[in-house]
Amino acid sequence: MAISNPSREQILERIRAGLQVPALEYDDRKFEVQIFEPVENPLDRFQQECKANLMECLLAEGQSASAQTLAQVLQSLPQGEIYVQDEPGLRRIIDAAGTKRVVRWSSEGAPKESSQATVTLADALIAQTGSVFVSASCGGRGASVVAPCHIVVGQVSQLVPDLETALRNAIVEQRLENNSYACVISGSSRTADIEKILVQGAHGPIRLVVIVDTAA
Amino acid sequence: MSSAAKQFLRDAATKSADLVHREIIRKNMESYDAAHLRGRSRFKDWEAARRRCQEIKREAINHLDRYLLQFEEKVIAHGGHVFWAANGDEACAYIRDLAVSRGVRTIVKSKSMVTEEIHLGPALEEKGIKVWETDLGEFIVQLRNEPPYHIVTPAMHLNRQQIRELFRDHLGEDIPDADPQKLVALARRKLREAFFAAEMGISGANFIIADSGAVAISTNEGNGRLSTSLPRIHVAITGIEKVIPRLVDLATLWPTLATSGTGQPITTYSTLVSGPRKPGEADGPEEFHVVLLDNGRSGLLGNAEEREVLHCIRCGACLNICPVYRNIGGHTYNTTYQGPIGSVLTPHLRGSEFQHLSYASSLCGACTSVCPVNINLHHHLLHNRRDFAYAAGDSASGRTQFKLWRRAMLNPRLYALGGWMMRRGLRVLYGLGLAGTAADPLRAWSRKRTPIPLPSQSFRKMWKKGLVQKNAAKK
Repeated sequence: MAISNPSREQILERIRAGLQVPALEYDDRKFEVQIFEPVENPLDRFQQECKANLMECLLAEGQSASAQTLAQVLQSLPQGEIYVQDEPGLRRIIDAAGTKRVVRWSSEGAPKESSQATVTLADALIAQTGSVFVSASCGGRGASVVAPCHIVVGQVSQLVPDLETALRNAIVEQRLENNSYACVISGSSRTADIEKILVQGAHGPIRLVVIVDTAA
Repeated sequence: MSSAAKQFLRDAATKSADLVHREIIRKNMESYDAAHLRGRSRFKDWEAARRRCQEIKREAINHLDRYLLQFEEKVIAHGGHVFWAANGDEACAYIRDLAVSRGVRTIVKSKSMVTEEIHLGPALEEKGIKVWETDLGEFIVQLRNEPPYHIVTPAMHLNRQQIRELFRDHLGEDIPDADPQKLVALARRKLREAFFAAEMGISGANFIIADSGAVAISTNEGNGRLSTSLPRIHVAITGIEKVIPRLVDLATLWPTLATSGTGQPITTYSTLVSGPRKPGEADGPEEFHVVLLDNGRSGLLGNAEEREVLHCIRCGACLNICPVYRNIGGHTYNTTYQGPIGSVLTPHLRGSEFQHLSYASSLCGACTSVCPVNINLHHHLLHNRRDFAYAAGDSASGRTQFKLWRRAMLNPRLYALGGWMMRRGLRVLYGLGLAGTAADPLRAWSRKRTPIPLPSQSFRKMWKKGLVQKNAAKK
């Protein structure tokens, strides 16, 4: 469906006419600069930043340890169904975790509002900002924001030092061509709109838990 | 003087003397200042970050047509729609018609200053569509039926008690201890209903990315995420100046925006939306529309000096540091964009009616020193003064005043006489207790403040005396 766009040409013409006026002179010599301190030890940095972001970063060695950790986190949550990204590795981990909860898989549609937790993979973990990079392929859009607790099952091999690396990889892997959405998530949902006092769990998750498999 | 200017002076005088307001702003700004400084210290080279951001925006604005077309092509390839709106009416009409034709009854909105600029909410409500502001601060000011007080923290001017009363009156639930945690939980419950009922979500965009055909939306609360995930239609509306060339530019822009906005290393949800839900995806809107708004922006391009005003990323840092904003508050500006950037931009977007805002500055340059894209804000205020003064031509009273001033400056005796008369006159006046009344020529200062202590001698006398003493000391 093509939409009618009566002002498009007129706006472009105005822009082009304006840009006929040459820009002011600008010293655009390039200097070697380092905007951010390079990340030395990505896993240490990731853990530090997660803490600062009020996220929980749990290390587990191997898949069965990850499953155990996941089981412990799930036990700490109120009764109710969970929503899980439908992916073979996660199916194995959910099996191994042995939860008795009702599991809704992402292949069955969007998460329900009543979900107690969502469990997904991430495309990357970012050390510099303690972030998880997720896209629509990680169980969809709601999977990281609808439930009060979002659990990310990650691997240490997914850890990248900084945002720039994560974004460059996203371009190479055509992540925004293959997904309609992506998000760099750096903590649980929060607000400071009342007297600048930080409150967690504004609209999205109150808890964001990242389980990092240090063997994978 | 325009009626807007008179209103501005009245409101500024009232607000700056409102002690409750002063205390709220002081607390908020102190907390921001500390977070902002902490945030900046996380950068190895903050100045280099500002310069990089400036270069990114400079590249984008100086090739605006090219990058907008690249963005449009990509969005269409992803299955989205792009509408170009020359002004607010066109943008509102497009979104309203879209909502009506799709049978939309409820809309959830995440924060967008552009929708404030074009008054989108009222345009939709005219058609009987319920519009929910979902950013907590926006929700609060929507309930109060007032415009945002600040472009980043819309309800900064309210304390928890005021918010408690507002929620009690409008949402029917009382939180007796006004605990922010409980107030937030109440708003969360109410807005959840809206999120799951809405057929359309409207968001702004912090950046639109040419090489990826994506819009970038930064939110902490997650309301931007829910607004763009749950409803079946997503409309993103943004100014044409928000375009950036490359996805990787966000590696600098995201942290710099977050640090300048709130002091955070990065905003909690830095979201990228590149189109409607793809086959195989679990959820997401079926339709994705981007509205690109001009509304006077392209007019700034032809002015090489002012062009960089379009670099602004709306972080709010210049508002927070501005001594004028900190005293008169956001509502006094009576504009969509407040503070120094609003004072620079509004006369261009809304005409000479808002020219007085060019003078709402001490030209101290604090705004320029914090701007994350290095906009020379206080110089632009000066440029605006100059341009409007030329355009207005000189008035008879102005000419007379300058003639008198010139006479006095060329004649030291006359100047001294003026000073003497002023000192004497004011002493008599203040002695009669007339300070701050209509008879007081320094009324603008003294009606709300202790009068300035009057010197017993002229400056010239003091100066001469100082020289004599200095010479005596030398001997």
